[in-house]
Amino acid sequence: MSINFKQIEDKLKTEARKLLEEGKVSIVLAYGKGYDEKKPMPYVVRKTSDIENIVFNEYCTANMARYLVRYPRGTKIAIAVKPADSRAVVQLIQEEKVKREDLIVLGIPVYGMKNFKTGETIDSKTTCGIYNPVLYDILLGEEVHGQPVVSPYDVLVDYEKMDKDGRWTFWKKELDRCIRCYACRKACPMCYCDPCFIDQNKPKWGEKSPESQGNLMYHLTRFHHLAGRCIDCGECSRACPVDIPLYLFHKKVAKECEEMFGQAAGMKIEDKPALVNFRVEDSDKILE
Amino acid sequence: MLKKTAIQKISDLAAELLAKGTLIAPVKESAGFNFREISDSGQVDFSFYNTLMSPKSAFFPQTEDFVRYDKNKSVLDAQCVDLNLKPIFLFGVRPCDVKSFEIMDIHFSGTGAVDPYWKKRREATTIFGYAFDLKTPADSADFYSTLNIGAADPEGSDIFMMKKGDGLLLKAITPKGENLLSSLGSLTEASADEIKYFDDTVAAGRSFKTRFTCVDDKVIAKKLEDLFHKTEFWEKISDACLSCGACTFVCPTCYCFDICDETLFAAGVRRRVWDSCMFTDFTMEASGHNPRTKVYQRLRQKICHKYSFHIRKYGVISCVGCGRCTRSCPVNIDIFSIVDQALKE
Ligand code: SF4
Ligand code: SF4
Ligand code: SF4
Ligand code: SF4
Repeated sequence: MSINFKQIEDKLKTEARKLLEEGKVSIVLAYGKGYDEKKPMPYVVRKTSDIENIVFNEYCTANMARYLVRYPRGTKIAIAVKPADSRAVVQLIQEEKVKREDLIVLGIPVYGMKNFKTGETIDSKTTCGIYNPVLYDILLGEEVHGQPVVSPYDVLVDYEKMDKDGRWTFWKKELDRCIRCYACRKACPMCYCDPCFIDQNKPKWGEKSPESQGNLMYHLTRFHHLAGRCIDCGECSRACPVDIPLYLFHKKVAKECEEMFGQAAGMKIEDKPALVNFRVEDSDKILE
Repeated sequence: MLKKTAIQKISDLAAELLAKGTLIAPVKESAGFNFREISDSGQVDFSFYNTLMSPKSAFFPQTEDFVRYDKNKSVLDAQCVDLNLKPIFLFGVRPCDVKSFEIMDIHFSGTGAVDPYWKKRREATTIFGYAFDLKTPADSADFYSTLNIGAADPEGSDIFMMKKGDGLLLKAITPKGENLLSSLGSLTEASADEIKYFDDTVAAGRSFKTRFTCVDDKVIAKKLEDLFHKTEFWEKISDACLSCGACTFVCPTCYCFDICDETLFAAGVRRRVWDSCMFTDFTMEASGHNPRTKVYQRLRQKICHKYSFHIRKYGVISCVGCGRCTRSCPVNIDIFSIVDQALKE
């Protein structure tokens, strides 16, 4: 079985039209034409005349959940989500940033998406590697079954072989390349703080210039702010203009969280974010 | 004066330049090529199309230290950071990027206030421009033709280079370039054929096409002014924008910076660091008021600054069509399409 992108695109258009015409939503967060076929863009459909510009192809990697918090609370929104993106929606609902009843979730079961900058296929190495959205109202396409089930943490094998010093050296080297453009946090659906800690200057949490000290402060704090919240869409790493493999840290933290608290981020609406919830039986490993 | 060398022998040329001063050239890094100070002549790699980051950092580094201080000591003990520069050779700059230096000069030395750091670096530097390969189609993001820049324009370079087969031709454009070129022993004289090839390529570069739309300075400036209050237009084009700083940081003509004091315990440094009008806190005032709270207001600022305000104030568009912003944008926002759309409004 392979993914019929054209069919998904057509369904997306049909559903968007229906929802807008019936007045069920005021906007549809989807994908639209970019300057090149291989460069589609996040797209906000407001009127039925916008619908013709909708596209869905293998380069539609953006996580549209990132845009949800941009609209006033109570706005009725339909959102197109790929599997990882649906987890971001769930996590945002858990964190009470959006209300379930304000959303119509258009789920897209998919695999074989491609990084539009490098052409590489995106799989469980840089994303959570699930094939079906965990939450949807309308499914645009058929559920994917029979694809290999790969743990999103398999990619950590080499990383975990490094000892503490090795990891420190690795991250220092990688993070020293950071130019502090903040594309990573801006592409992240879970980085919605306004202002972000690193933009504050009273107190000032980290240096502004792109050097070791400030870079480490920004990234290590961001990594930890995402503990138990990162849904592993991999958008931060793809957004990074200098290709820093941020996903490795996020995956490592996600894995530890899952082991400690028995839940992965954004899987069920009923869950509470792992680090917000307190259960007597919770592991104490985090305090060690 | 036209000289030549073999591409294979580029490291000899690099070694000669290294002996005379600092060499900055494209180096392959994990995400692409970047201009870096070369320490080993073998590092110079000519297989690049264009660099990820623009060469502006050769004159305007992302971090520039001004004053070092110690809070436990008197203010008078603070040390101004002086630049002691050796001659700098900036090697392999594409014509569109060479053009950007001229635009940046307006801000750093052309309007009365002179930035000593920019000026010193500029004066110490010999620019080796480098023609695009006319046999390779332009990257789909490039649009320098729209801004009337040729793929092999030598203007603005001190020495201009182009490939011919497996050879490299180097022509002196300015007296500074002439002096340097005549002192380089690893080069040989070019033949009459090669002189003709050079001139033909410069001419052919003028008709080499990247993406193109007809942009008249005055027309686009006025158009954007008229569109300024048409909020729906700006909202629509910025729906996807993440409001990060990637586009402005890679851009050769973005020059905004912030001055900050970075202190660890008592010792610190006052420095300037690149800033970006796409950042949420760019316009944050001390009172806490922020006149640009919306993404569309910030993207509108970026576009209008380059294609409207800059023309009204300085007479030129502040963009050279290098395509970097488009290539680096995580969501494929494309300044060319925006300008094109604005013209059609
Ligand atoms: S890094 Fe932390 S403070 Fe900043 S936006 Fe992300 S979660 Fe919020
Ligand atoms: S996107 Fe990359 S370069 Fe930009 S701030 Fe994040 S890690 Fe640094
Ligand atoms: S605005 Fe974009 S195309 Fe224009 S000079 Fe800057 S990076 Fe290049
Ligand atoms: S245009 Fe692209 S690169 Fe620039 S701020 Fe918006 S999302 Fe970031």
